[in-house]
Amino acid sequence: MLNDIKLGARLLLRDWHAGELKILLLALIISVTSMSSIGLFIQRIEGAMLDQTGQFLGANLILESSREISEEIKQQAQQDQLDSSHVISFSSVIVANDQFQLSHIKAVDDNYPLLSEIRISEQLYGDEVARSHGPARGEVWLVPRLFNLLGIQLGDQIEIGRHQLTVSAVLKYDPGQAFSFMSIAPKLLMHIDDIEATGIIQPGSRIKYLLALAGDEAQRKTFSQWLTPRLEQSQKLLGGTEGSEAVNSAMQKSKQYLSLAAMLSVMLSGIAIAMAANRYGERHYNQSALMRCIGAQQKNIIRIFTAQIVIIGVIGCLAGIVLGYITQLGIVALLAELISSELPAATLWPLFSGFLSGMITLAGFSLPAILRLKSTPPLKVLRDDLAPLSLSLWLVYGLAIGSIISVMWWQSGNLQLTLMVLLGTLVCVLALYIISSLLFRACNTLIPLLKGPWKVGLQQLLRHKQRNQLQLLALGLSMMVLMLIFLIRNDLIIRWQQQLPEQAPNHFIINIQSDEVAGIKSFLAEKNVSTEGLFPMVRGRIEKLNGVPIKETVADNAQLDNALRRELNLSWNDQMQQNNSLVEGQWWTEDKIGKPYISIEDGLAQRLGVGIGDSITFKIVDEEISASILNIRSVQWDSFQPNFYVIFSPDIINDYPVTYISSFYLPKTEKQTLNDLVRVYPTVTVLEIDDIMNQVKAIMQQVSTTIGYVMLFVLFAGLVVLAAALQSTIDQRMHAATIMRTLGASKAFLSRTQFSEFIILGYLSGLLAVIATETVAYGLYTRVFHLGFELHLSLWLYGPLLSSALIFGISRFYMRKVTRLSPARILREA
Amino acid sequence: MSRNIVSVQNLSKQVNAVDRESGKTIDILTGVNLEIKYAESVAIVGASGSGKSTLLGLLAGLDEASAGEIIIHQQKLSQLDEDQRARLRSESVGFIFQSFQLLPSLTALENVMFPLELQGDASAAEKARQLLDRVGLAERYAHYPRQLSGGEQQRVAIARAFVTQPQLLFADEPTGNLDKATGETIINLLFEMNREKQTTLVIVTHDDTLAQRCDRCLLLQDGKLQHAE
Repeated sequence: MLNDIKLGARLLLRDWHAGELKILLLALIISVTSMSSIGLFIQRIEGAMLDQTGQFLGANLILESSREISEEIKQQAQQDQLDSSHVISFSSVIVANDQFQLSHIKAVDDNYPLLSEIRISEQLYGDEVARSHGPARGEVWLVPRLFNLLGIQLGDQIEIGRHQLTVSAVLKYDPGQAFSFMSIAPKLLMHIDDIEATGIIQPGSRIKYLLALAGDEAQRKTFSQWLTPRLEQSQKLLGGTEGSEAVNSAMQKSKQYLSLAAMLSVMLSGIAIAMAANRYGERHYNQSALMRCIGAQQKNIIRIFTAQIVIIGVIGCLAGIVLGYITQLGIVALLAELISSELPAATLWPLFSGFLSGMITLAGFSLPAILRLKSTPPLKVLRDDLAPLSLSLWLVYGLAIGSIISVMWWQSGNLQLTLMVLLGTLVCVLALYIISSLLFRACNTLIPLLKGPWKVGLQQLLRHKQRNQLQLLALGLSMMVLMLIFLIRNDLIIRWQQQLPEQAPNHFIINIQSDEVAGIKSFLAEKNVSTEGLFPMVRGRIEKLNGVPIKETVADNAQLDNALRRELNLSWNDQMQQNNSLVEGQWWTEDKIGKPYISIEDGLAQRLGVGIGDSITFKIVDEEISASILNIRSVQWDSFQPNFYVIFSPDIINDYPVTYISSFYLPKTEKQTLNDLVRVYPTVTVLEIDDIMNQVKAIMQQVSTTIGYVMLFVLFAGLVVLAAALQSTIDQRMHAATIMRTLGASKAFLSRTQFSEFIILGYLSGLLAVIATETVAYGLYTRVFHLGFELHLSLWLYGPLLSSALIFGISRFYMRKVTRLSPARILREA
Repeated sequence: MSRNIVSVQNLSKQVNAVDRESGKTIDILTGVNLEIKYAESVAIVGASGSGKSTLLGLLAGLDEASAGEIIIHQQKLSQLDEDQRARLRSESVGFIFQSFQLLPSLTALENVMFPLELQGDASAAEKARQLLDRVGLAERYAHYPRQLSGGEQQRVAIARAFVTQPQLLFADEPTGNLDKATGETIINLLFEMNREKQTTLVIVTHDDTLAQRCDRCLLLQDGKLQHAE
């Protein structure tokens, strides 16, 4: 065994100058490089996003309670080694210069904020500076709007309850401002130790006690698992994703785009590996026949060639992960301007998984060729026409498809996307095969009409129909992947960005009471602020699924789902919102209104494992209400419109305590409108989410730039496939060309013949690729990314032409010998 | 009987006709009987298509007979599977081919080392060098087959065939691709080495001079051994 491995290694070394090994290695390196660099990059970006979401909260977890938080909880947090900070938040009137103003007051301790920084300025319109702590005792920081409302300046005194405090800074950004729906603008920050002196906290006061926590994922998980069953009615635990569905959704899509790009490069490299391995196998039939003739057994042959593949695999994968690591550093450096925060370091996992994926791809695509080698009949040494037994097609395709599915799925973590891409590809291969047969037949009828080199070129193409058809498939497929990645970069992502228009809502108003709805509607209309409407919101918790308590039916990991941990915002509506789309079932018609039906978001339905017709029981206030699922919706969370996991049919939950929510766009210059609104309706809460929006926009920008770099990988992989495909038939082409030269064909004639042959081949594969690309794109646009689909005219026009040029260029490189060397030399070397 | 290294009894080989649908078979060899003694040299001659190479393939266990039996070293080939036949070849059979069958990606030395390496012989390089020196290619160790002339390539092949010290050596038209003068040198070398190593030699050839150097000459005609001299 050891001997076979050594022999394999030695033969490999000696065989190195044969081209297909280089192609094999190159394809593998590209595949592993792209997998590991994208893996690393996604991991780091994801880490950064999580941190950034944390920064919006100023913490990773926040326990919100209307009563003081018990010592037991505080101790547990300490025991789980979480950093903690205490915050008390309430609304109160503040007084200055005889002006009264209702404000949202946040009293913070010395640890606040746990994550991120507070930004203040020391002049009303001065530069921002970052602070890692809140105001000192006796001081307060106020948002700019309060300065205007109270007519005060820095250094002035204000009164909160019985206590006088000095205004020492302008509060520009408080990391806790985005969490939950509780921050009432305008806001003021003070020290928690000053609270007692104000005398504001009396029994019955509406106060929120917050325990902000920060720690790593494991610590947070331990703590939430401990706390969740102990939560009281008055308490809720807010996680890092709270209120940031938009960011999550953007993050998810980004991952999909990146995974898709990585997948395409894996697939392309797979094709290149398969072709190179196949040629490697073919070239070694003689060698293995001879080996068997002089006494090698089948197992020796398998070991020798497997050893070679493993050695190539290890070298290629190692080189790939090193390059992947470097590339990822490069991408991060190039994106440094876009990525505001320092990215967390990557773990070694993506490298390991890139290595393993590379080995699996290599095995899946090259094993068939090796298995075939072992069955080379030894008699081949005497009779050259013998070929090894063909393997069962099931085995060949099974291995290849099996390995590529597992790798793509593993790398992307998205089975739907994997299957979509793969199914698209398979359908395309089949269609390409049929279309290419028809095209070949059509070309056949053209031959009598052509002359000279064009005729010979086309004849050559048609002569080895099956081989050329395969080549056409491979070329078409790789051109398709190249075109797809181009579409993703230049169409999909841009359309995704356009989904978030310049004037996407950047403010939410919540806590609107029923009797204020009409007034607020007309207020907004008067100010020319447009909204999608005011949506009712009732708080409720999911209790049972199909009558069985949730804790008994849903898997443990789903129980950690936010939707189950906290109260959900339930709504009702007679129509579906514009940014939602039905996935399954029908929206309610007249006869269903007033009956207990609900519409559920597809993600939640999936996590709960429920479908149409299932019944969900909610607990609203202290009553249980059951409703059955009539339809499942997909929600565009990054639309910045109010959206709901669960929507009831009208007239079912209308009698429960309800508030309304709305969102609208307001340019920075018209922030004054907010003051007017809050003055007229002092109890509503306005949320300013410009920062979240900017973050989402930044993510989109990052992704689109990254995809640009990924495109380069795919392009490389594509070129390697093209080279592999052309190389696989180059021997025969060289031979034919040499014979033609021996028979007296001029160099010019040969050049023109090659030109016509490859230009035709290139054009045909380009045309096939466009057809296939549009088919796959249709699936991707409509099913995965939920975008409208249109044919891409420029692709139809330029795709085949570019493909012609590319394939001709590469073939020129390989065929250069034919015209340069003497026929005798080529014949001898062959 | 034990003096025979090869013994063939009623050997037949049929193949399917080219147009398979007719279901016809073609007889390549019919009722061949043959015995070859240790250290004997035997030539098998006959016209093209008379079945010479098929017989050689069968004798070497590269192909399976349709009927009859081949016994090599007291082992019935029909009772061995392909891997066991491979082991038999590895232990006691060497080959020389008309088209040399050198591996193009290996140097002369590496080509000669190759069978020893397959056996896991640690002194492969040393033995291979000795053999190459013996066939007069001491200066050509590092040359690739394409850098060698036909005669030189066949010498490498001879060195490769003898390097495992086989008891039985099969040669398929060893001079078929060489000019007369080179062919003669190769034949001389082959017989010299055969004498030195006391190998049994079975040669398939068109070449009368080569055939006459053998102890015995068998004529194969229409798939039958016509007479033995």
